[in-house]
Order: sequence, then structure tokens, then C-alpha cells
Amino acid sequence: MMAGISILNLTAGIIAFILISLFLQFHLNYDRHNRLYDRIFRLQIFSDVQFSPNPHSASVTAALARHELTELPEVERIALVHSAGDDNIDGYFFATDPASPVMLKQGWYSDSTIFDIFTFRFIEGSAARSLTEPHSLVLSRSSAEKFFPGGEAYGNVLYLENKIPLTVTGVYEYLPKNSDWRPEFLLPMLDYTEYTGFRNYEDNYWAYSFGVFVLLREHADFNQVNEKIHGALKNYREYHYPYLRPLSKVHMNPYFQPDMIIAIGLFYFIALLILILTSVNYVNLQIADATSRMREIGIKKSVGYSQRELWWQFVGESVTESLACAFIALLVVHYAMPFYHRVLGEDLGLSIFNNPQLIIFVLLVAAATGFLSSLYPAFIISRFNPVRAMRQRFLTLERNGISLKKVLVTMQFTISLFLVIVSFIVFRQASYMIDKQMGFDKDHLLTANIKTYKVGSFEQVRERLIASPEIENACFTDYIPFLLPGGDDMSWEGGHPEEKTFVRIYNISYDYFDTYRIRITRGRGFSREYPADGDKCLINETAVKNFGWDHPIGMKVKTSFWGDWEVIGVVDDYVAQSVHNPTEPHTYRLMGDSVSLTGMYSIRYMPGKKQEAERIARSVFEESYPGDAFQFEPFVNHILAENATRIWGIFRNICFMFAGFSILISSVGLFGLVLYFCRRKMKEIGIRKVLGFSVRRLYMTMVGEFLVLMALGIVLSWAAAWFVYQKLPGADKYGLQASEFLAGTAIIVIVAMATISYNILAAARTSAATILKYE
Amino acid sequence: MLLDQMSKTISMIRTVELSKVFRTETIQTTALNKVNLTVQKGEFVAIMGPSGCGKSTLLNMLGLLDEPDEGEYYFDGIPTSGMNELNRTRLRKGRIGFVFQNFNLIDELTVFQNVELPLLALRTAASERKKKVQAVLDRMQIGHRRDHFPQQLSGGQQQRVAIARAVVPGPGLVLADEPTGNLDSSNGEEVMQLLEQLNESGTTIVMVTHSLAHAERAHRTINLLDGQVVIDHRIRNFQIA
Repeated sequence: MMAGISILNLTAGIIAFILISLFLQFHLNYDRHNRLYDRIFRLQIFSDVQFSPNPHSASVTAALARHELTELPEVERIALVHSAGDDNIDGYFFATDPASPVMLKQGWYSDSTIFDIFTFRFIEGSAARSLTEPHSLVLSRSSAEKFFPGGEAYGNVLYLENKIPLTVTGVYEYLPKNSDWRPEFLLPMLDYTEYTGFRNYEDNYWAYSFGVFVLLREHADFNQVNEKIHGALKNYREYHYPYLRPLSKVHMNPYFQPDMIIAIGLFYFIALLILILTSVNYVNLQIADATSRMREIGIKKSVGYSQRELWWQFVGESVTESLACAFIALLVVHYAMPFYHRVLGEDLGLSIFNNPQLIIFVLLVAAATGFLSSLYPAFIISRFNPVRAMRQRFLTLERNGISLKKVLVTMQFTISLFLVIVSFIVFRQASYMIDKQMGFDKDHLLTANIKTYKVGSFEQVRERLIASPEIENACFTDYIPFLLPGGDDMSWEGGHPEEKTFVRIYNISYDYFDTYRIRITRGRGFSREYPADGDKCLINETAVKNFGWDHPIGMKVKTSFWGDWEVIGVVDDYVAQSVHNPTEPHTYRLMGDSVSLTGMYSIRYMPGKKQEAERIARSVFEESYPGDAFQFEPFVNHILAENATRIWGIFRNICFMFAGFSILISSVGLFGLVLYFCRRKMKEIGIRKVLGFSVRRLYMTMVGEFLVLMALGIVLSWAAAWFVYQKLPGADKYGLQASEFLAGTAIIVIVAMATISYNILAAARTSAATILKYE
Repeated sequence: MLLDQMSKTISMIRTVELSKVFRTETIQTTALNKVNLTVQKGEFVAIMGPSGCGKSTLLNMLGLLDEPDEGEYYFDGIPTSGMNELNRTRLRKGRIGFVFQNFNLIDELTVFQNVELPLLALRTAASERKKKVQAVLDRMQIGHRRDHFPQQLSGGQQQRVAIARAVVPGPGLVLADEPTGNLDSSNGEEVMQLLEQLNESGTTIVMVTHSLAHAERAHRTINLLDGQVVIDHRIRNFQIA
């Protein structure tokens, strides 16, 4: 039985370690598939203005790529990119047949130099001849399969937004899931002006919506480049400083906020703790099992084995056992991978057997675990008489009450409890982030975007929509929550003219706040009864706080280009971008009653009437915008697609799983430890029984010894878990509650008491005569 | 008066056809074969015999640590066969003291704590415990060692602690399993003297021993062979207390 427990312990520990390692490897290897990884940089801008919770941005102006960077000798290639689908819409409709357009998201306009910078593997066409001609496009393999299933895409025509025919000049293989930049299609930057209407963008220093990737020459120092471009915007926005950020930092720490590093570090720590726990368990189990090897040792000694040979034998056995368990664990993980992906809630494309790096790492860790864990048991076992060795007081630092047993129990208990509580805390924090009050009603909302060249009144469309009882309200805006608009560095009435803060600007129709159920805390919203509202604005509470206003109504914000706006109302803060980041200052402006070009339509339907509402809205839109492509989707999709929500979701699921692992490994460990303890205590149990102690009293006496150590473990693990809570990343933390501590403690105490009781009762029930005979 | 007289005539130990068989999958060993034995209150009996003759098994039966397969054992007139472990423990507690060849002291406890154990089992009040333990330690002449751990004592001292522990609750019967087996002759002699003193003060003693010299200091010797009583020899008479 001991061998089985020992294998279960090691295998479970290594499985947990592999699963965490896979997850960590996924993040640490972000973008590393690029051959020129070390030489790739992203242009970013630091805006040194007050109160900006996100002062860094990768949205930059095109002019920097076309002018300042081209003059630098360190720069080998520059690629200017822009998300395809206009500012607010992430995607375009494409069609082989105009009757059935399909929305492709995550597309980009790009220079053809992008293929010299990032590593793309073309399966049709070639990089050299892609993005070089107007009215062409390049598709990812998955995008190509949507339009040309089973067939060749190269040379075929796709219609953009049912209007412009584009020729496919290349198809590239899937990019790894751990790529920060993962376009589904690419359009030539040459066509950007034609498709978007944005002229002279290459000389524009004001439009911060482009992305720039740079390949530096070998051995070039990006810090020197940064010094050269530091003041490139001083004639335009004097507080803005461009700089290059290495691709290696883009995933883990793009904007000098170590949140991701803390989270990854926490997982590393958990993986390490699980290994230590497994190791401690192994030591306990081996020592507990030492008695059963007495005969073998005796015989080997009598035929001439030296203590050193025996020592090596046991260390060798232990390393072999660990390696065997590592192989079992690798196999289990390989076959359980679909399940792991289901637990993660996302297929990260993780795998084991085409991952030699990880296999070698796991085997090394397993061998090291086996080796280190075996040192102490091998020392004991290789002595002539393990029973005597066990009985001797070498485990006790003479009589000061500190014994190795107590240290092991306390450590075991503390680590187990800590792991379970921390898993619960991160689980709760992740749930809180995912389910937290958004500050608006995210349910029962449909959104759609349309790119149209028609000009007309949105009010008329809205009238037709809300005429149906299934539709409660509708609005038209340039941006909605979770689609982030740009903004301006603004100063404010009462503030120093030099003081500026970055404020995001939303252009909205009358019914935005009602449709999204955003609360107006002071003043009023835009109203059809006030024709002058076009010059006014609303702001959010964060803006009020940043401006330091006690009475915001009637005050003015001062913009760089559009003059001053008078505040007529204040809205409550709501989550506008990401559950992870703090709220920024917002302004809201009333847009004219026009549906021109692009925008987001939001429709609030009556609960339970989604299908009907969508059908009605579809028919209204088809009549209002004949020939234009559009697609309705539930608003919550925008939240689910948001990165922080996804990452928190994965964290939550991982924590849930590792709480399970912690409990399993802890149970195994406690079982071994208590068994060891009971075996050491057999003589005492026998003597106490002879002297008339009942089983119940024996039980109480022995459990009492554990309870004291458990109490110590509770104090230590609670303190450590509290510390981790303090260090958790995120702007907004859930209020720590006693329930995580109590629930975690209850689980571990129940597990501990069950194993302790089982072992102690088994020992206490053995007849005293039998015990004393063998002891 | 009559009751008092009766209790005096009741034997401390009486076994009737006591048998015990140990079985493994292939072997069956008869440890005790229909043993009939009576020990009077206040008597000092030595049990002798070669290794494996059933001496220790008999002692375990008499100490209510083990159950016979057949026969009946009357302890102080009370029939014990069929008793469950809890009742046997209750019956034994405070009434039977044990002394072992290897002392069986608990290494983690001090001398005082070791001797205190039977009183803890009896739930004796703390103040009384302290008094009784100190008294018995003084009587055994190891009072000055009360805070030491067993491994800091000599074998003779350890056995005196074990005897102190056996007698501290004032048992009517002390069972000693080769109490001098691990001791040199002078320490062995000291232990024998302590047992004799105990017996003189009215405690019934049953002692397993290999030493003829020590056996001859009992009132009676019993020889076992293959689980049967082969010789029951009275050396001298004794007075019922």
C-alpha cells in the first residue's frame, strides 16, 4: 500500500507541476516563434500628463513611422499597421458572393515589410509578392478555409463590404496562440486611404490609432534609438514621448505594470510549493516504510554491502521511481490535454510530445526531486537497523520540544492549507473580476455595426425599432463599453492651464445612458428639449475627482482643438475598457443625428425576447441600409473577447483545478505522515493500553499532539495567504472575507482529521499484547 | 463479616482448561493447552520453562491483554471469557500492574510522567497523583531522578521506574515478565528485593523467569512445557493476608 501511495503522491505532484509549467511556458514563450524575436520592437508612447492610469500606449501616429524612424541607421525595417475595420469596428465583411457576407475580425492594414519582421509561413502565394499591390489581401489559413473550404484561395476574389473586389495573393499558416499580434487577414497599407477616407495619414502627427513594428539591425542598441526619438513629438504634443518596447516585453509587461509578471510569479510559486509538498510527503512516506525493509538491509549487510552502497541503492531507487512517475505523469497529461483545455476554458494549443524542452525540464525536475527527497530516508534506511534508527531520538533536538516530526507536520499542514486558501482567494478574485458590477446593465443588449455610405437620420431608425414591444430602447454611438475610444489631453476650469489629463471622448446619441442603464448622478443627460446640447458635455465621476470640482455642473473642460465644453451632467463610473484597469476620465458629446459611415448600434430588448428583437432589428436594418453588410451579436461578446476578462477566467479555472490537486496531495502527505507518526508511537500505544487507557483516550491524547501543530499551521498559512492577497494584481480587489480562510481550513482539517483518525484508530485497536510482542 | 471472609478465600487467579492456539495460513501452534492454575491472594508464583513454552502467552492471558480460545479465566472471582476489550480494560485498570524485561518506558516522557500514566488512566486528581507518584518514587529510591528521561538512566534504574509505574495505583496483582532478564546480577538482586517487599505488603506476584535462583525466592514454581503445566512445586507456605 505504501508503494501505491508513494507513486500516487509523486505522480500527482508532477502532473500538477507539468500543468502549471505548460501554462507558464505558454506565456513565457509568447512571440518566440519569430526568428528575429530579439530584434523586433513595438513603437509606444508615454504621455506624461496627470491622473492618467494608463499613461503608456501602443497606439501611435503614422508620421513617426514614415519620417523620424526612417532616418535612423539602427533601423532595418519598419512596418506601419492599422486595425482593419475603422476605429470602432474590429473587422470587415468579406464575401465570395455578395448575398452571404462573413465578418472577419482581427484584420490589419499593413506594409509589406511586416513579413521581413515577423515570421509568417506561407502555404499559398509568397510573402515577397503580398501586400505590394492595391486591392489585394492575404488570409490566415483559418480565414481562407471559411471562404474556400478544401480549395485553393490564391488568385481568387473576395468582395470587401460587398463593394470592392480584392485578389488573394497569399495564405499563411496559423500563427501560434501565444502570439501577441495575430492577424486573421492583412490588407495593403496602400489601400488604407481609399477604404477609410483618411487622407495624408502619413504626415499626420495627431491621429493616435496606428501601430508600428520596427526591426533593428543586428547589435543595434534600442536605447540609443529611444534617445533619438524621445523628443520627436515635441512640436505637436509636448508631453508625449515615443519609445521602442522590445517584443519580449510586449506580452508580460507592455506598459511597465508588472501585473502579469506577479500573476505568473504566483503560479511559479504555487508550482514550487506543490513540488516541495510532494517532496516532504515522499520523505515521510519513505521513513514510515523503512521498517518493512529491515530484513532486506540485514541480509545485504550480512553478505557484505557497505553502508555507502546501500545509500546509493536507495537514492538510485528513489530517482528511478521519480522518473517513472514523471513518465506516467507525462502520459496522463498528454491524454488529459483536451480536458485541461476544457478546464482552462480555452484551447491554448498546449501539447506535450512535441515539446522536448518541457519533457527534459520535467524529467530533470523529477530526478532532482527524487534525489533530494531520498537523501534523508536513504541515510536512515542504510543504517543497520532501521527500527532502531527510527526509535532513536535523532529526530528530536533534545527535549526542547522541537522535533523534525513537528517541523514536518507543521510544514506539511501550512503548505497544504496555504495552497488551498490561496487557490480560493485567486478563484474569488477572478470570479469577482469576471462577474463584477459593470456599472451598467450588460444583459439583454444586442450590438451591430454597419459601414454605410448612406446619410440619414438615426432617430427615424430608432422610432421604427422601439415601435415593437420586444425592443425597449436603442442608441447609436461611435464607441460602446469595452471598445475604447481615443481622447485628448484636456485642462479644466479652475485648474492650471499647464495641468492636463488624458480624457476619453465618446460621441453618443440621446439614449445611450438609458439604453446601457448608466446612472446619471448629477445634472441631466442629453435631451431633445435642449437644442443647445450639441455644445455641452457630460463627464464621469473620475473626471470630476481628477478636476477637483465640488460642483461640476456648469464648469468647463478645455480641449486642444474643439474649444471649451460646458458640463451639464455627471455619470457614475462604469467599466469601460477592462475589468483589470482603473476607470479613466470620460467626456460624452452629443453626436449629430446622422448614421453616416460607421458606428455602433445598441439595442436593448425585453428579457426573453432576443430572437424576436433580432429578427425585427434585422428587417429594419435591411430596409434602412439595403446592400450594406451587418451582423448582430450579444453585447456580452465584447466583454468575453476582452483580454483581462479572458485571462482572469483562465486564472479562475486553473486555481479551481490546483485547489483540487493541493487537497489530493495534502491528503496523501498527511496519510504518510500520520502513518509514520503512528508507527513510531506503536510502543507507547501498547504501553498505554496495558496501563488501562481506553481507545477513546488514546485517540484523544494522540490527536491532541496534532491539534497543536495544526493550530500553528493555521496561523502561519493564514498570514502567508493574507500577504498574497495584498500582492494580488488588479486595480480593483474583492473584499477579503473569512469564508475563504474558513472553507480552506475546514477542508484541510477534515482531510487531516480523517487521515489522523483512520491511522490512530487502526493503531489503537491493535491488541497491546501484539504490539509489545513486536516492539 | 461473612462477605469479608469469602473475599479472602476467593483466589486472585483461577484458570479452567485455558487454551490458546496461534494460526497462520500454514502453521497452527498450540501456545496453551488446557492450563488449570490457581494463585491465591498474596502468593508469589514463579513460572519457568524453555523458550516458546507459552509463559508469555499465559502472562498476557492473566493480565487480560489477550483472550483465550477456550476455557475460563476467573480474575479475582470474576469470569472474563467473552468480555470485550473495553470491559477487560476497565477490569485491569488499577488492579493489575505489569513489569517487562525491556522495561517498556516511553522515551519521550520523564520518569515522573511515565509513573503517572496509570493514575491518568484512572483519572486520579492531579494533586493526589503528584503525591502518590512522589511517594512511590521515593520508595523505589529514584525520587531524585523524577525529571530525567528513561534513556538517561541505567537499566536497574529504568526497571525500578517500571516497577514504580506498576505499583503506583496499588494493584492487587503484579505480573512480571522476566524482570531481571536485562539486568546484571546486582541490579537483578535489587529488583528481586523490591518484588519481595511488594509481596510482603500483600501484593500477589506472578513472575516469569529463566533464573532458578530468582524462582526459588517465590512461594511456588510452575514449569510449563509445550503449553502445559508439567510441574507445580510449592517451595514454602505463605499466610493468606
